[in-house]
Amino acid sequence: MISVRGLRKHYQVHKRPPGLKAALRSLVHRDYTAVKAVDGISFDIQPGERVGFLGPNGAGKTTTLKVLAGLLHPSEGEVTVDGHVPRFREEAFLKKIMLVMGQKQQLLWDLPPSETFELNRAIYDVPRLQYKQTLDELVSLLELEELIGKPTRQLSLGERMKCELAAALIHRPRVLFLDEPTIGLDVSMQVTMRAFIKAYNEQTGATLILTSHYMDDVAALCPRVIVIDKGQLSYDGSLDALVQRVRPEKRVVLRLGQPVDAALLTPLGKVVSHEPGSAVLQVQQDAVNATVGRALSTLPVTDLTVENAPLEEVMSELFQEGKARRAEAAREEVPA
Amino acid sequence: MSLRTSLKALPTLLRIGFSEAVAYRAEMIIWVLATTMPLIMLALWSAVARGGPVGRFGQAEFTGYFLAAFCVRQMTSSWVAWLVSYEVKQGTLAMRLLRPISPLLAYATEVLAGIPLRVAIVLPVLGISVWVAGAERAVPTSLGGWGLFALGIAGAWLITFYLNVLLGTLSLFLESSQKLMEVYMVLFFVCSGYMFPVEFFPPGVRTVMEWLPFRYQMGLPVELLTGAHAAKEAWALLAAQWAWVAGLGVVSTVVWRRGLARFAAFGG
Amino acid sequence: MNAKRYLRLLGVQLKASGLLALQYRADFLAEGLTSLAWTFTALAPLFVVFGARPSIEGWTFHESLLVVGWFTLLQGVLEGAISPSLTGMVEHIRKGTLDFVLLKPADAQFLVSTQRFLPWRAVNVLSGVALFVYAFVSLGRWPSLPGVFASLVLLGTSMLILYSLWILVVSAAFFVVKVDNLTYLFTSIFDAARWPSSVFRGSLAWVFTFIIPLALMTTFPALALLGRLPWTWLVGAVVGAVAFAAVARWVWLMSIRHYTSASS
Repeated sequence: MISVRGLRKHYQVHKRPPGLKAALRSLVHRDYTAVKAVDGISFDIQPGERVGFLGPNGAGKTTTLKVLAGLLHPSEGEVTVDGHVPRFREEAFLKKIMLVMGQKQQLLWDLPPSETFELNRAIYDVPRLQYKQTLDELVSLLELEELIGKPTRQLSLGERMKCELAAALIHRPRVLFLDEPTIGLDVSMQVTMRAFIKAYNEQTGATLILTSHYMDDVAALCPRVIVIDKGQLSYDGSLDALVQRVRPEKRVVLRLGQPVDAALLTPLGKVVSHEPGSAVLQVQQDAVNATVGRALSTLPVTDLTVENAPLEEVMSELFQEGKARRAEAAREEVPA
Repeated sequence: MSLRTSLKALPTLLRIGFSEAVAYRAEMIIWVLATTMPLIMLALWSAVARGGPVGRFGQAEFTGYFLAAFCVRQMTSSWVAWLVSYEVKQGTLAMRLLRPISPLLAYATEVLAGIPLRVAIVLPVLGISVWVAGAERAVPTSLGGWGLFALGIAGAWLITFYLNVLLGTLSLFLESSQKLMEVYMVLFFVCSGYMFPVEFFPPGVRTVMEWLPFRYQMGLPVELLTGAHAAKEAWALLAAQWAWVAGLGVVSTVVWRRGLARFAAFGG
Repeated sequence: MNAKRYLRLLGVQLKASGLLALQYRADFLAEGLTSLAWTFTALAPLFVVFGARPSIEGWTFHESLLVVGWFTLLQGVLEGAISPSLTGMVEHIRKGTLDFVLLKPADAQFLVSTQRFLPWRAVNVLSGVALFVYAFVSLGRWPSLPGVFASLVLLGTSMLILYSLWILVVSAAFFVVKVDNLTYLFTSIFDAARWPSSVFRGSLAWVFTFIIPLALMTTFPALALLGRLPWTWLVGAVVGAVAFAAVARWVWLMSIRHYTSASS
């Protein structure tokens, strides 16, 4: 469905130093610095996959997404989406895709969302019958009945985002790019959005690519993640395997019937947190069984669960690793 | 986008554009109040004409001319330059580019969809003009005259639209195109026949004006509305106007395409 | 209200704008050139009008230049100190950040009207003064000392009226949805002040004297410089300007109340 080979996107950024002299000089001669937003990444995505792009701010996630949507031209590399080269922006291609950006809206601000839906129907040339079917489905799934008649400006952020998503799906895109779709939404709204996006993918078999700062989005939606760091691909595979690799340790979460002494916990594993009614231990994977056994026999345990490390921690550790690796590489370069 | 799909989408685009125009009716009233300069100029030139006619213009002729200028401005005005530069700054141009329809066509329909409301304002003003200045100084008296005016106002609309596209697109190349828009507005006010008929320019300057586009945005349709030209003269001026339409059409489309290529290279 | 605190606040805002302006010193050149081009292009209609008649409603070409001079000077004030804040206000309303301003423990009107200055636009003030000098050299005489004094008083009242007009326009921003056009409305109303007010007759004259006191802003100071302004008019102008400012302040307070009660 999607194939990316050696994608590079370098920007020339014009530097304008302060001061009159420099300003006048820059009229004649401009200094540029190259910014490598994306620096050689390759991957393939099969039809119907749900893939999450992860990476710190400025890693190149959005740039990659925009290249895939045909909004940015790659500096180098081959990109195809369902047989189309995105940058040609062919009509057939544009009708197959959609990009939803949590921070930019396409809804007409002072008209009800229903008007934007109607507009998109006309622009995407959706047959009436199919339009009605799709819209009815969207309205009932996202619970929009009350909303689509009100002017967009009167909707809350969450309501607006639901309508935004509906507007993006009127033409039933085969490939859906989602850039921070749940930004600023409350937790229950995030859950609704996730469930809906997943249902859309399962029903229509559409391919889905998502970037998000909320790890929960990624964990709930994307069996596969692609980690981009400083414009380079640092991981491509299943989310579970990533967690295994970065943080092989498991967490044993204990609920305690009565407070216990810290000295009782330390022999069991690394104490992550310890409060009167609970404790969290970090242990090697192969030691989980032994730890659980010992905890049950030596502590007043009322409840016990074994979990992976929180995704946020996994990610920050991964990015720290990347930073350290780059620093090392830089040190090695210095003598040469 | 293919022509067929565009044409099919057009009625819906216009209908929704019209709903938007209705939603922004308060803003349109403000816009109308902001474009009352012809009335100020009418007061000024009436004061001048109290001492006797200026050229072929007496008080009645000035009334017909400036009320016509007010009407033409309402019908031909375009805010695409501001819209484009705003969308470039906000990055929402990207949302427009995702759609399988030419953004230029979308901008054009947005402006066109507002015209019915503007006609509702223009008609009473034309009525007043007929009443005060007399029919022969306010509107064409023959069907052919109305035809020439229709052609002239369509050309004026297109020139204004293309100039707007051109100015708006420049915001893709320059950090701030605001200054340029200000310069354009001043040139438009002075050179187009908006503040005074272009025939008041001294002969040398007038020839220059005939070669600039501004006169065809305002002066020509106003003159056609008030019946200032014989048919032969009118056709010659219309030919010049449509030459500008064709030229600006090509130039603005080319610059727009280049602007988009740059947008795709640098991002929003 | 603590006057000293507000003066200090004003100082802070001015300093910030000044520093910003110094960073973009190349703009000085651009501002200067466009301002000059503006002034001369804007004179074209004057040439055309006075090409038809040597004097209109008792004003000769060079006397009218004084009105244009005041217009240009006030335009500098408008674009340098008043419009930038208006644009900022429009931005506040669009982005919904006006609430932050209303939350601050200082007068909201003061805060929105001092948030931004464009010092380089003051070039227009110099163009205005240059027009005065040229006009008086051409007239072959100089203004009397009381005349200059009266015109300086009127400069104060003009700025007060201009500022009040601005507050009225901003107040309108609370009631309309799309506010971008307001700046344009403001400048285009002001544009009528380019002409001596005596050319306007009937209802227009009434509007421009009492509703939108453009006559007070440019024609009165020009008359004062020419020594043709009766003292009673000067007093009337001062009283009128203060009254106008009071009305504007009242409308502003009403609008704020409307805004805070309407947006929940």
